[in-house]
Amino acid sequence: MNAPNAPQVAPVFSTTNILEIRNLSVEYASSSGTVRALNNVSLALGRGQILGLAGESGSGKTTLGHAIARLLRPPAAITGGQVLYYPPDDSHRVKPPNAPGDGQPIDILQMSGKQLRAVRWSTLAIVFQSAMNALNPVLRLSSQIGDVLKAHRPEMAAQERRERAQELLKFVGISPDRIKSYPHELSGGMRQRAIIAIALALSPEIIIMDEPTTALDVVVQREILLEIARLRKRFNFSVIFITHDLSLLLELADKIAIMYAGRLVETATRAELKRQPRHPYSYGMLHSFPTLHGPRRRMTGIPGSPPDLRETPAGCAFHPRCPMAFAPCATILPQIRSSSAETPQQLVACHLYDSTHASGPLPTNADFGARYEEVYARSSLGTRRAVVEDAR
Amino acid sequence: MSAEDTSVNNASDTTSANQQLAALSLAADFASGPPKTPPVLEGLHLRKHFPLRQFGIGVTSNVVHAVEDATLALYPGRALALVGESGSGKSTIARMLARLYTLTSGVLRFEGKPVTNDGRAALREYRRHVQMIFQDPFSSLNPIHSVRYHLSRPLRLYNHAQSKRQETDKILTLLDRVSLSPAEQFIQKYPHQLSGGQRQRVAIAQALAVRPKVILADEPVSMLDVSIRLDILNLMSALKDEERLAFLFITHDIASARYFAEETMIMYAGQVMEGGPSDVVIQQPKHPYTQLLISAAPDPDRPEEAPFQAHGEIPSLITPPTGCRFHPRCPHAMPVCRERFPGRTNLGNGHWTHCFLYGEGNDDTAPAPPSASTSTTASAGHS
Repeated sequence: MNAPNAPQVAPVFSTTNILEIRNLSVEYASSSGTVRALNNVSLALGRGQILGLAGESGSGKTTLGHAIARLLRPPAAITGGQVLYYPPDDSHRVKPPNAPGDGQPIDILQMSGKQLRAVRWSTLAIVFQSAMNALNPVLRLSSQIGDVLKAHRPEMAAQERRERAQELLKFVGISPDRIKSYPHELSGGMRQRAIIAIALALSPEIIIMDEPTTALDVVVQREILLEIARLRKRFNFSVIFITHDLSLLLELADKIAIMYAGRLVETATRAELKRQPRHPYSYGMLHSFPTLHGPRRRMTGIPGSPPDLRETPAGCAFHPRCPMAFAPCATILPQIRSSSAETPQQLVACHLYDSTHASGPLPTNADFGARYEEVYARSSLGTRRAVVEDAR
Repeated sequence: MSAEDTSVNNASDTTSANQQLAALSLAADFASGPPKTPPVLEGLHLRKHFPLRQFGIGVTSNVVHAVEDATLALYPGRALALVGESGSGKSTIARMLARLYTLTSGVLRFEGKPVTNDGRAALREYRRHVQMIFQDPFSSLNPIHSVRYHLSRPLRLYNHAQSKRQETDKILTLLDRVSLSPAEQFIQKYPHQLSGGQRQRVAIAQALAVRPKVILADEPVSMLDVSIRLDILNLMSALKDEERLAFLFITHDIASARYFAEETMIMYAGQVMEGGPSDVVIQQPKHPYTQLLISAAPDPDRPEEAPFQAHGEIPSLITPPTGCRFHPRCPHAMPVCRERFPGRTNLGNGHWTHCFLYGEGNDDTAPAPPSASTSTTASAGHS
């Protein structure tokens, strides 16, 4: 971990990037107007890094995951941007046809169907939210894993495929003799492990995990998370981990990106975010989870509810809920920028960090806390609580 | 015994937890302490078995052993959290208390009197006092009816409104109480026009409309967006204090149990494992399952390489393990754990557990089921 005023950038960022998302925008066409699900999102994934993507429902986090893998279907359409994939220099793996030379990025969004087929799974795998629906209920695990190998590695013999499938199950902590099992014979946690095994089948460089543990119980969730961390160490793949549970990312991810209403509001390393979230929304999210330790005190949460994407508020989409909002927030869209000289890589989209709008010291956790508290005290619920407390 | 104690207790944990407990007693917002009033609703030795529908000659009928011998009490102005993983029987208990399920055995007592099973009128009278809030606000409201309709039904059914005008006034007051303002606008909206949090507020208002004494909330916030959960929890805790409502709060999130409820009970595979004041249970967990559950909960303050050991999976409830159902996964399992389920061992300060590591569990202070009131011990349940 860096000291707050360490001169260097956090080591996590010094690894070269494997994926760069540049100004990506996605729209959904609907009868009541277009919904801008993703707006000018730029984000980098470092080699071997776990990038956590956090946000509430409708924030665009799943849309982003699917856009990267080009899995969006109409009415969704990618309206702009690039998803650049940097193949490794010493690549011994199958390269997409017509791939440029080493070190040259390829835009996944411009790939032909043939190139895309070559990249999917062997370079970029995806683990979906519901393990129940991702596995075929009438096929044994052996044939579901075998299918992937058959499609992408036609030269493999049946015996090799079987061995590889058993090996994969062993990697994820399932006994290889379960290879003949049908999905319904497995518990929820084992199904999720099986899905991860299938994603690993071709040793991909990037795995996108879309809420892989949301439907699981806490004990199983923790087992799966530890498994992911262990596998990542062993195979050195990069992960984009999509979740609504920020507290989980603080344990797992190297870098965390927080989304709100289709835009990125903050990206930071785990340590930076823990120490000092910069965006008022990030602070609110971090303080929306009751804790297991420390004094039990009332928490305020974030007032209001997430916006309807058909009528996103002008200016900063968060301003109607923001306790720190000031004049420019309602009219001017904040651009994502470096938050401070000490944390140049902690990027934030907020006017509080823009010297043309705000002056004076940057807000601290105490400032955020006090402002959230003020808003809560003014709310109808806050006044009611005060009455109850006075009566005591 | 002492050797076992040290193996389960983490000494440093205990001291830090004690300091935190000391700090806690100063927090006026969460003034708790032992209940001063008698319980409103009690469930004594509740048991629920669901028969499986199996046909054929010579097929022995199987049952799902959903809940075994659960005893709990709800007090005015206080909340009891029921924490467990899916299949632990926590929702079944709520549904038994709501009398949506009949009891396989056990007794319900409302304000000290055993609840009897005599007909629809009595059931309606019972529900005047005991209301339920469900997990999914998207399916608990009827999409073709407005908010007004949803709230007018309980008001009419329980005779709380004599005229149309009075009804409207009461609905507006209810909407205000659940912080849906401006109430005049919300009254005519339909569920599809509301967000998840707003729908859950309507569901809460619906429960409040009958002026209940007890609210059984089955995972009321787990379907909601993270930023809204606290809002709903704060609303429920304001209502709890203002109306002296007794709350049963069912959750799988042990941290929100600590936040909302004065007392917490931990369940595993239909058996009650541990219970007591929320802070004591969560900061000084005694039962190995509670310890496992807490070590698994997301916790940003956890040291990087905190050990985590879990073996096995939640057992089948059709053929559950004998004795303590946690024994196949328990790192401290002894031969006796396989034979029988331990009784309740009191650990002081209202904290108790069912575990042989802390004793035989003979000091069961839960009252025995009164033999006279067997009327609710209905024949094996059909729901």
